[in-house]
Amino acid sequence: MAASQSYGPRPWTFYVLATLFTLFVIFLYGPMIAILVLSFQGPSASLVFPLREPSLMWFDELFSPRRTGDVVGAFNRSMPLAIMVMVLTVLISVAAGFAFRRRFLGSSVIFYTAIASLIVPGLVLSIGILVTFRFFGLPASWYGSALGAHLSWTLPFGLLIMFAVLGRLNPSYEEAARDLGASRWQSVKSVVIPIVFPGMIAVALFGFTLSYDEFPRSWLSVGSKNTLPLEIWTMTTNVTSPALYALGTVTTVVSFAVIALALGSIILIQRRRAGRK
Amino acid sequence: MTTATTSSSAPASGDIRLVNLTKTFGGSNAVENINLTIPHGSYCCLLGPSGCGKTTILRMIAGHETPTSGEIYIGNDMVVGKPPVERGTAMMFQSYALFPHLTILDNVAFYLKMRNVGKEERRAKAEDMLKRVQLHALKDRMPAQLSGGQQQRVALARSLITNPKVLLLDEPLSALDEFLRLRMRGELKSLQNELGITFVHVTHTQPEAIALANMVVVMDTGRIDQADTANVIFNRPTTPYVARFMGGQNVLTGSVEAKADGRIKLKGTGGAVFEAALKEPSPAVGATMSIAVRRDRIKLRKNREAKVATGANEIKGVVDSTEYQGSYVKVTVEMGGGVFVANLPDGDYFADPVDKGDAVIASWNTADVNILSKVDSGAAGDPYLNANH
Repeated sequence: MAASQSYGPRPWTFYVLATLFTLFVIFLYGPMIAILVLSFQGPSASLVFPLREPSLMWFDELFSPRRTGDVVGAFNRSMPLAIMVMVLTVLISVAAGFAFRRRFLGSSVIFYTAIASLIVPGLVLSIGILVTFRFFGLPASWYGSALGAHLSWTLPFGLLIMFAVLGRLNPSYEEAARDLGASRWQSVKSVVIPIVFPGMIAVALFGFTLSYDEFPRSWLSVGSKNTLPLEIWTMTTNVTSPALYALGTVTTVVSFAVIALALGSIILIQRRRAGRK
Repeated sequence: MTTATTSSSAPASGDIRLVNLTKTFGGSNAVENINLTIPHGSYCCLLGPSGCGKTTILRMIAGHETPTSGEIYIGNDMVVGKPPVERGTAMMFQSYALFPHLTILDNVAFYLKMRNVGKEERRAKAEDMLKRVQLHALKDRMPAQLSGGQQQRVALARSLITNPKVLLLDEPLSALDEFLRLRMRGELKSLQNELGITFVHVTHTQPEAIALANMVVVMDTGRIDQADTANVIFNRPTTPYVARFMGGQNVLTGSVEAKADGRIKLKGTGGAVFEAALKEPSPAVGATMSIAVRRDRIKLRKNREAKVATGANEIKGVVDSTEYQGSYVKVTVEMGGGVFVANLPDGDYFADPVDKGDAVIASWNTADVNILSKVDSGAAGDPYLNANH
């Protein structure tokens, strides 16, 4: 390699770090690949390798529940919940990001209060929400108490991303828009939002994925009907078939699809700005 | 400032009047009680080091900064509190601030879009404007694909499509390389000639101001030191600060010894005697005053004797350094506690060259001496005292 020729032999630290990275990749993707493979297990219904008589029967089992739990129902709750969390996270983070561009009285207190929810343990928060809802006589539900619990997790991330994005936004853009006759709202709509749009996609991505696979904050706050991560957890205790793996494969595919969609659109926007079409 | 204000008869006038203008940031004055009239159709340069308040003045005229107190008039209108678009001003930003998500054409058409001009009409007008700045061929490109000079021309086109009375330029040439800077400087000047509107141009570069402006305003920490034509500013600076900031001047200080025969006689440190034409009002005998002499009006001769008496307008020293500049040679002379610079024509210099360590006598004519209105306060707090420009 050209690099090793010009810089001499590689130092021992290279091999240490390369090993570390390899282990990291194995730990991250190894289990995912194992589950992916085993979800195609045949009628032997073995939960371990080797793979015998590959088939799609466990996917079929997933969508026509006889022995498994209410997977489709859980998905039909998790998806709208994740989308609601995503939309609210974007709206609130962007608005708050604009507010924080100017220093106002108590801004740092509000900022640290919001960030503190990253440190609070999710399970404790979940119990707290349940207790509070009980105290006020309100029913816990996935679209109410769980929505709030998820927002307490996604908003600090969204806010931090918007800080970074808006911090890099040159105020001259808004001034130029105002100079060219744009009203305050027009300058936000026609200039600021389009410029920070890739950042908003990143916030949306965080909002969606953090909510879609959230377990601890959902645990006690969803009420009687489970979201998908809770349903999977229940299944691990009472379902003993590769349908579990099929479910893992399906949810992972959904997550990857969302990430690919988000990153794809960010890359597309940046390409267009650089003039490559 | 003496300028005729004829705005009453011309409603579209781009006269700018600043009256007792003050801007305070967090307790300190960025701009302090400024009074200035920029006549319609002039090319005005606000010149000063960074932090002197020149950009703050520009931004207050543009409407991107609100004055703490004072008034701004454009034509007959008091514009403080009005949005930029109602002032008849257009600003070109230092970073150009081209919208990265819009094509060149849509950038230029932005103003018309904000005014709800139809798509066909605004595109046609924007194309005309792009033709004027010779960028029509690039109309579908994105700003990131353009060179610095091209981006600047787009920014100009985008500003000019608003049909402004006043164009405000914030350090417009600072982001360009030397070659492009000189070219764009020429283009700005001819554009201003052609349009006949008022240009206000903020810069920290003296040659830029002198080359472009028919009115130069030299600023120092929130105040105007001198506002006049480029020629007067360069030849007849009124304060030691302006003399040093514009460069090309030697500032000397002495106490008044005598006033006679239309001349005023000063005694400087080390016993040197300076003479200047007597102008009333003049300081009393015994008072301290400062004078300035252009570097290129200085003559140097070698001092071959150890003890030579110097006459009026002569000063003894030792050559500290020489620097060849092509058409002239800059000779820096160390004289009792200060530095004195002579710019000698290259012919004169090479006829009898001096070198580091040579004892020399610098001399000049009384007619070339310019009396400064303020006494030089010396090196303390003045970064331009020994500036090598």
